[in-house]
Amino acid sequence: MSVLAVTEVLVAQNIAFAIIALGVVVAGVRLVTTENVVHAALWLVVVLAGIAGLYILLAAEFTAIVQVLVYIGAIVVLFLFGIMLTRARLGEGETVNERMRIPALVIAVAMFGLMAYSLWGYFGSTELEVVGRSTAELGQTTAQVADSLFLTYLIPFEVVSVLLLAALTGAIVLARRD
Amino acid sequence: MPKVPGMVKGLGVTFRTMVETLKPSGGPATVQYPHEKEEPSPRARGVIALHEENCTACMLCSRECPDWCIYIEAHKTLAPPRRAGGKPRQVNQLDRFAIDYSLCMYCGICVEVCPFEALFWSPEYEFSEVSIADLLHEKERLGEWMETVPDFEAYEAGSEAKGKKVPR
Amino acid sequence: MSGLIFAIELAYWQQTLIKVLVAAVLIPTTALILGIVFLFKMMSWMQSRMGPQEAGPRGLLQLAADGLKFLQKEDIIPDRADRFVFKAAPVVVLASTFLTYVILPAGPDLVIENLPTGIFFAMAVSSLSVVGVLMAGWASSNKYALMGGLRAGGQLIAYELPLILAVMGVVIQAGSLSMQDIVWAQADGSMFGFGGLGLPFVITQVLAFFIFMAAIQAELTQPPFDMPVAESEVVGGFHVEYTGFRFLFFFLGEFATAFAFAAIAATLFLGGWWVPGVDPNSALANVVGPIALFVKIMVVAFLIFWFRFTYPRFREDQLQRFAWKYLIPLALANITITGILVVVL
Repeated sequence: MSVLAVTEVLVAQNIAFAIIALGVVVAGVRLVTTENVVHAALWLVVVLAGIAGLYILLAAEFTAIVQVLVYIGAIVVLFLFGIMLTRARLGEGETVNERMRIPALVIAVAMFGLMAYSLWGYFGSTELEVVGRSTAELGQTTAQVADSLFLTYLIPFEVVSVLLLAALTGAIVLARRD
Repeated sequence: MPKVPGMVKGLGVTFRTMVETLKPSGGPATVQYPHEKEEPSPRARGVIALHEENCTACMLCSRECPDWCIYIEAHKTLAPPRRAGGKPRQVNQLDRFAIDYSLCMYCGICVEVCPFEALFWSPEYEFSEVSIADLLHEKERLGEWMETVPDFEAYEAGSEAKGKKVPR
Repeated sequence: MSGLIFAIELAYWQQTLIKVLVAAVLIPTTALILGIVFLFKMMSWMQSRMGPQEAGPRGLLQLAADGLKFLQKEDIIPDRADRFVFKAAPVVVLASTFLTYVILPAGPDLVIENLPTGIFFAMAVSSLSVVGVLMAGWASSNKYALMGGLRAGGQLIAYELPLILAVMGVVIQAGSLSMQDIVWAQADGSMFGFGGLGLPFVITQVLAFFIFMAAIQAELTQPPFDMPVAESEVVGGFHVEYTGFRFLFFFLGEFATAFAFAAIAATLFLGGWWVPGVDPNSALANVVGPIALFVKIMVVAFLIFWFRFTYPRFREDQLQRFAWKYLIPLALANITITGILVVVL
């Protein structure tokens, strides 16, 4: 398998994409329709894991692993943790806050419109070139990510880190009473 | 010499115990029970044995028993006189003496209270049964355990005072 | 990859099938080996006992007998439990263990999948078990299970950080995230110009090794960090309601994870499958490699279980303080020093 044959891979990839995407969509719908908050968080795990699978299909395994580590391993766990500490009731359906349904819908549609608009505006109707890459090249994607993070985009990266640090400090200041 | 931190010392203790257990000279502190029997400590309270000849069916043990687990049945009978030409003595003939070991809590009050040296502690411990009802042991079984009762130890090590003897 | 050893070219699906089967056999076997050798035998010796003696020669089949016993047990699900989540939780925990085995190399060609981001992948998938533990704790509909699950969640999140940060030191020194490259870096290294023994990273990364060992002790929720499953406090924690084969899943997961973490530690710090004197490029390395790795894993597992059987349980606040105030700053300092030294030297 020196070079991934372009057309064959695309067929297999499309099938895999269809399966994963279908799973993600179903899980996403269940996520917003389920009445149980913990179930919603667990459906979110499925959605995020599916998205990690999509990243792998795009040969971005570093992003996929970060997705698993950060989103599932940390953020959803914190969600679950918070839900269970505060309102973990079993059995009868704990109804999720329904008042915000309309604003949530508006925001979702607006976000979708924005993303679709910007993607369309950038790419338009240009066809993307399909590049077949060797496995050796695929192995280098992590190194490429590291290089661009710590060389090309060093300043934005550090600024984001400082921003997160500021948010963290602010949260501690808000949470502490004394 | 600097003091060894407790964390490291603890590791040393467990490691030394492991080596001790595996050495042929050391061995484990436990006994592989069904294959080899444990040596009970002296005066161990295993089971209560009955020396039938000494029992007069006075019922003291039965009455003192906190669990009421001792059953005694007896009838009066005439024994031959001690001296020739004397009157025949009236004695209690023991018909039944049973201890229900499913009730007994091994407090030993019956052994303490017996005025005629009829009850003894035996270190025997293998008397379990499959059914709880079978734990009611009759005087024949209680008498068999007399053989396992050890001799009394001296009250004090090296003392001249005569200790009591176990009737055999 | 694995086709090279037997000089047979296998189709991709055949290779995949073989790999999955090997992993499926390997995981229960390793869990059994660790359970018998350390939990049953070594713990007994350290407590001046002999351990199981009856099942099989010297009682070595005791754990297999126990496993069979678990399979016979009635599968009880509490009445008010969340049935689906309750059933899924052990599977999630075991799946997380299963995925960790994917990147463990046992020889130059003997690896299920040599990912370029191997160690990072292992850290990511091992963090998935938290989700399973929280699911089990919540779905059991039992306050002890919930408390145990929450304790486990807090503990696993807190000790994930020192674990990853300790690994970072090794990764910086090896210059790669791939498990194979880390082994090669140790095999090619030299100590003071003497290359015969290579350079096991335990020598340069002593601090990282200590942090890693402490962190995996907590990740495995075993003494001295066993508050999530403490019998005397939360009567078994998140698996209090589990019986039969679902409990067996948790048990297998715990010991297979212990084996996987021991294998990662052996690879990162002790040189993995590499043995001094065996040419890593030769076919012989594929034969000697697994044996060497197994011996090294046993050494690391001995350390893990030695700590487990020696120390008493920490308190919950001591646990968090130990992670956040000592292990994480130490690990960060280790990364900084390693980074500076790698750049300077």
